[in-house]
Amino acid sequence: MTTDERKLFLPVILGTARQGRMSEHVARFVYEEVAKRDGVETELIDIRTLKLSIEDAGEAIKDSHFSETVERADGLVIVTPEYNHGYPGLLKHVLDTNLKEYIHKAAGICGVSAGGFGGTRVIENLLPVLRELGLVTIFWDGNFSGVHKIFDAEGKLLDQSYVKRIDKFLNELIWMSKVLRHGRENVPLV
Amino acid sequence: MAEKTKMLCPDCGVEMNYHAEKIDYNGSPDEETDGFDADFGGVVEEAHSCSLCGKTLLRKAAQAGV
Repeated sequence: MTTDERKLFLPVILGTARQGRMSEHVARFVYEEVAKRDGVETELIDIRTLKLSIEDAGEAIKDSHFSETVERADGLVIVTPEYNHGYPGLLKHVLDTNLKEYIHKAAGICGVSAGGFGGTRVIENLLPVLRELGLVTIFWDGNFSGVHKIFDAEGKLLDQSYVKRIDKFLNELIWMSKVLRHGRENVPLV
Repeated sequence: MAEKTKMLCPDCGVEMNYHAEKIDYNGSPDEETDGFDADFGGVVEEAHSCSLCGKTLLRKAAQAGV
């Protein structure tokens, strides 16, 4: 099978385990939008389900399914709420369990906030972490401001402008994922 | 200059593409960590990816040979 025959694999990571998380609605919405794209496969990864040890950290506590999923991925969508201007500690704990699986792969962030800034502060905080992990971040973000007004209690999207916004976000993520796959597999470092 | 030994994909058997280097800062020269490079303060690791299946493997640069 050649590179072009393989579908891109772009999993969506739901980056919080908190009860009542509105980010779950965002993650499911983005997951469904990714799934609509031709030539793309996706999977929703809920970090609540990973059950990682807190007795240690890093690659010592890898979850085999999560690692295999990231290994297979060409790019990642990370959906993260903004908690006290930062990212959830559990999300960092999860991301730190892999390294080689991320190198030269694309990453896009969807920030979620109850207030009006659409998670911009958490996105800015997360960018240097992703860079150090070896991921290549895109310059489009998903900004979900006032998330309680974007979705109803059942997760139905109330503001259709987000379909267009995520369309642009995914265009960029898919482009970067294709380019980086070609680079990983064909362009030598030196 | 002699070329480094190519890595082969363990699943597909084809030559992998060497596309990145990363420093692993674990270990120290005091512990005589295998592959420790004092110039970088850690172990230089090479990332290689398979063009058929996409698998990525790391190899310590010091083990790459020539």
